[in-house]
Amino acid sequence: MNILFVLIPLSLVLLGVSVWSLFWAVDTGQFENLDEAARGYENEDGPSA
Amino acid sequence: MFAAEGIRCASCSRSIERALGAVPGVGRVSVNVATSRVCVEWDPAKSSLEAMLRAVADAGFKPLPFAGEAAETAFARERRTALKRIGLAGIGMMQVMMYVFGVYVAAPDGMDPAIAAYLKYVGMAITAPVLVYSGMPFFVGAWNDLRRRTLGMDVPVALALSLAFAASVFNTVRGKGQTYFDSVTMFIFFLSAGRYVEMVVRQRSLSLSDAVGRSLPAQVARVRADGTTERIPVRAVVAGDTLQIPKGGVIPVDCTLAAGTALVDEALVTGESRAERRGVGESLLGGSLSVGGAIRVIAQRDVAGSTLASVVALLERAQGSRPQIARAADRVANWFVAATLLVAVAVVTAWMFHDPSRAFPAALAVLVVTCPCALSLATPVAVAAASTRLARRGLLITRADALERLASIDTVVLDKTGTLTAAGRLSITGMTMLGALDKKTVLGTAAALERSSSHPVAALFTRYDEPDIAVTDLQDVDGRGIEARIGGTRWRIGRHDFVAELAADTAAPPGDLGIYLGSEHGLAALFEIGEIMHPEAFAAIERLRALGVEPIIASGDRDEAVDAARTALQVEHASARLEPAGKMALVRELQARGRRVLAIGDGVNDGPALAAADVSCAMGDGSAIAQAASDLLLLNDGLSVVGEAVATSRRMMQVIRQNLYWSLVYNLAAVPLAALDLVPPWLAAIGMSASSLVVVLNARRLAAAKADE
Repeated sequence: MNILFVLIPLSLVLLGVSVWSLFWAVDTGQFENLDEAARGYENEDGPSA
Repeated sequence: MFAAEGIRCASCSRSIERALGAVPGVGRVSVNVATSRVCVEWDPAKSSLEAMLRAVADAGFKPLPFAGEAAETAFARERRTALKRIGLAGIGMMQVMMYVFGVYVAAPDGMDPAIAAYLKYVGMAITAPVLVYSGMPFFVGAWNDLRRRTLGMDVPVALALSLAFAASVFNTVRGKGQTYFDSVTMFIFFLSAGRYVEMVVRQRSLSLSDAVGRSLPAQVARVRADGTTERIPVRAVVAGDTLQIPKGGVIPVDCTLAAGTALVDEALVTGESRAERRGVGESLLGGSLSVGGAIRVIAQRDVAGSTLASVVALLERAQGSRPQIARAADRVANWFVAATLLVAVAVVTAWMFHDPSRAFPAALAVLVVTCPCALSLATPVAVAAASTRLARRGLLITRADALERLASIDTVVLDKTGTLTAAGRLSITGMTMLGALDKKTVLGTAAALERSSSHPVAALFTRYDEPDIAVTDLQDVDGRGIEARIGGTRWRIGRHDFVAELAADTAAPPGDLGIYLGSEHGLAALFEIGEIMHPEAFAAIERLRALGVEPIIASGDRDEAVDAARTALQVEHASARLEPAGKMALVRELQARGRRVLAIGDGVNDGPALAAADVSCAMGDGSAIAQAASDLLLLNDGLSVVGEAVATSRRMMQVIRQNLYWSLVYNLAAVPLAALDLVPPWLAAIGMSASSLVVVLNARRLAAAKADE
């Protein structure tokens, strides 16, 4: 079971990465306008902004 | 950032983006269809706000510099921080649970103590940042509560969080006893998520009712002594200034007309639905629209003293006198919290005499088990579920306790113009042939006569116009009608006396709203002009009646127009010619008779009535004043949602009651067991979570229920 002493810190690194990406996504406004992407298909030249 | 009116679809947003993209110096443009907000990044050196606003106006939209920009930015920051807090708590919760699950399910002595201790340390390492970052609002809230010497819901939450965490750290370090890291993170996650939903709903409503941005123009053109104009802020207008008001522009302050005639729409201030003609020297009310053409006016007062401002002042007074149900709810919560803390203290004291080693686990179990989780969630989750459901149908809740009050209403006071009828929109509702001419000729002739008139009624005939009918000697007889010559015959269109004079017809006129057409050879036709009833008005009224809510019409409009609406909708009581203060008095009188009143309106003149009512609902495209005063905001034309809102709010109260009973029963059962140390804290945490889950799932039924139950 000693492998846990390696695997758990590894999972903590993954945890850090996922928290960091969530914060990045929130800070760059990815969750601000959730409807816009769905409407993008109506524009001939792809989603705006 | 600014707002633009008229954005309805994706292609609208696309054309705004294109129009703005063509302006030099403009960088990124994004259009939010849901909130009608346009967000632009631009280089102030290369472009001006004015150039951009002009581009948007040229594209066919109405740009409004957004007064609430600072508020909007603050909202976005608040929302992002809250999202990050929830995200961290959620990820942390799942990880901690994964680690400690092994400890829970392992058979006694089945797990290497070193591994068990290790897992607990890891759980602690994840819980610490979640507690500090995601749990911050609860600690701040509890601290603020204590500083104000009150006991809010945050106090036991913060206490339980810190005690559970401290005990867990203590037990982890000393290597024996329970840890509650999973409960701590789960608790933070559920509570933050509930608060986030509430916050988003409220923010959305607030930004839509941005009052200052819409009711008055930010700037107005003042005419200098040499005849040139300059743009000045509305606030800078003083009595005696000469102002230039464009066609369709808002008259910002009470004025007198400087020259010519003006056609003004006072629907916002008085509720009168028909445009009125005014002559030189006559007074114009601040807040009315100049619909005829560009006019010059002389300001009589400054903004603070104007009619619109006095309506606003009246409104603020009425709002101040609203009974605060919310405070009563807070007091109950305070007592509950105080009781919980007292029980915990009593439990510690009692165990100290019997078995001091069991005092702490028992007290913690009491705090966690009664942790007002289910109780504090009971109301917000039900409110959030009901709000979300109604928001999807275009009804926003702007005050947290509005739904609670909505459940008990038994009378609804409806404004007519703009609420039951489309504001200022007229149509030809009937046509009676009085002569031998056929319908096509009559309509063509009428349209030809009305061709160059700017009166709102003239627009109704435009689509019947045939350009080959030549009109000569056209004259607009002010306020009475139009006379002209078509192919040698003199025709008149307008009020009965005016047309009858030419046609030598002496019969008495049958009604007031009609427009007559006639020539030297006699009367030709009578057009009945009426307001367009809201398509859903009848169904909406029926629905309300079915719920036991009595509809009453209160309007500032003329008797005939109100009567027409009353008959069409089969409403028993209707009052016409009501001033803003009169509407408020009507609402107060109903309340004095024990009625619980919902007021629905759209104009500035509805503001005081809205504020006085137990619950108020404004139309989203109505005036900002009405919106700012209201508890509910109707975004689309779906008037029938109001009935559903009443039904939903009643179901919501039922769900809240069920939830409160459930948490009461749960707490009454669990507290004695916990106090006797029969419930280990881990079971208390599971019980707490499960009881919250029951409450949440029960509330979800509100959002999931079918539309017409």
